[in-house]
Amino acid sequence: MDSKNKLSFTFITVVIGFMIAVQFQTVKEPVVRDTRDTWQLREDLLKEKELQLKLLREISSNEEKIAQYETKRKQSKEQVLRETLEELRMEAGLSEVTGPGIILTIEPVYEELLLGKQVDSISPDLLKRLVNELNMYDAQHISIDGRRVINTTVIRDINRETMIDGYALNRLPIEIKVIAENAQSADKLFNRMQVSKSAEEFFIDNLRVKVHKPEDPVTVPAYDDALRIRYMEPVKPEEGGKS
Amino acid sequence: MWLPILGLIIGVILGLLTDIKIPDEYSNYLSIAVLAALDTLFGGIRAQLQNIYDEKVFVSGFFFNILLAASLAFLGVHLGVDLYLAAVFAFGVRLFQNIAVIRRILIAKWSQNQEKTEKN
Repeated sequence: MDSKNKLSFTFITVVIGFMIAVQFQTVKEPVVRDTRDTWQLREDLLKEKELQLKLLREISSNEEKIAQYETKRKQSKEQVLRETLEELRMEAGLSEVTGPGIILTIEPVYEELLLGKQVDSISPDLLKRLVNELNMYDAQHISIDGRRVINTTVIRDINRETMIDGYALNRLPIEIKVIAENAQSADKLFNRMQVSKSAEEFFIDNLRVKVHKPEDPVTVPAYDDALRIRYMEPVKPEEGGKS
Repeated sequence: MWLPILGLIIGVILGLLTDIKIPDEYSNYLSIAVLAALDTLFGGIRAQLQNIYDEKVFVSGFFFNILLAASLAFLGVHLGVDLYLAAVFAFGVRLFQNIAVIRRILIAKWSQNQEKTEKN
């Protein structure tokens, strides 16, 4: 065997030795002796038990949460009904509404007051016209002088006094709050009210309608009387299906 | 003669000192590679004793056998068949054969030597 052959042989043996050593180390599990005495073992046991307790507590709290969610899910039908009721109440005007809108002020024309003319009340026809116009321009909720205007609201003359649902409107200026669907429609409403015809007609009665810039939020109060629906009846299901 | 043994010892010491550990899932491959290497080593020794030693065959056989064994084991793992057993079997048989041949050659040489000494 010449020296070159010996060298390659040696190289191979080195590699084999290395591989055997690595394999030996991998297979050989180092045996770690447990040298803890009774008290150390007790302490460790205590620690583990505490951990177990903590985990159990966590599990039970999570289970509680799951149960809560379950009951919530069961109650969700009720929740839906409640939401529907709330929606209907809002539409009927039985709840306070806040949203983007405009405020109109009806005030006497001061120049006429200087001339000695007495302006004491608004004509109900004019007010109705104004409300109609507001409704035409997509007003959602309206209140006049703190009184909510709903579907059954009456504006009429009783003993020479303009009444809204039985409350007199005899103090000028009167504030009309209008809530629109969103900020954009509030802007639209504002623009339309600025060129509205009823404002001119108010001027004939020596009143001026001041349209304030759109605001957010405007709060319209709830209708605070009981709704009297004497002539309303629920539709019978079979008849409703036919129509 | 002593240089390869010295190399083996150096390799073992090197391996033990570096403290390298192969992950458990790869220890299979390494074991089969070790077997292949041992087979090649004994084959080399036998060839040397029979005077048919070729360095190229030896070195290429070493690496080729290791690669083949490892890839066979790899294929076996992925096919779900314990193909590495085939390698173990083949290398094991060859290892025994090689060692047997080496033993015979050594015995023959030894008896020849004794006859010579007796004659002298």
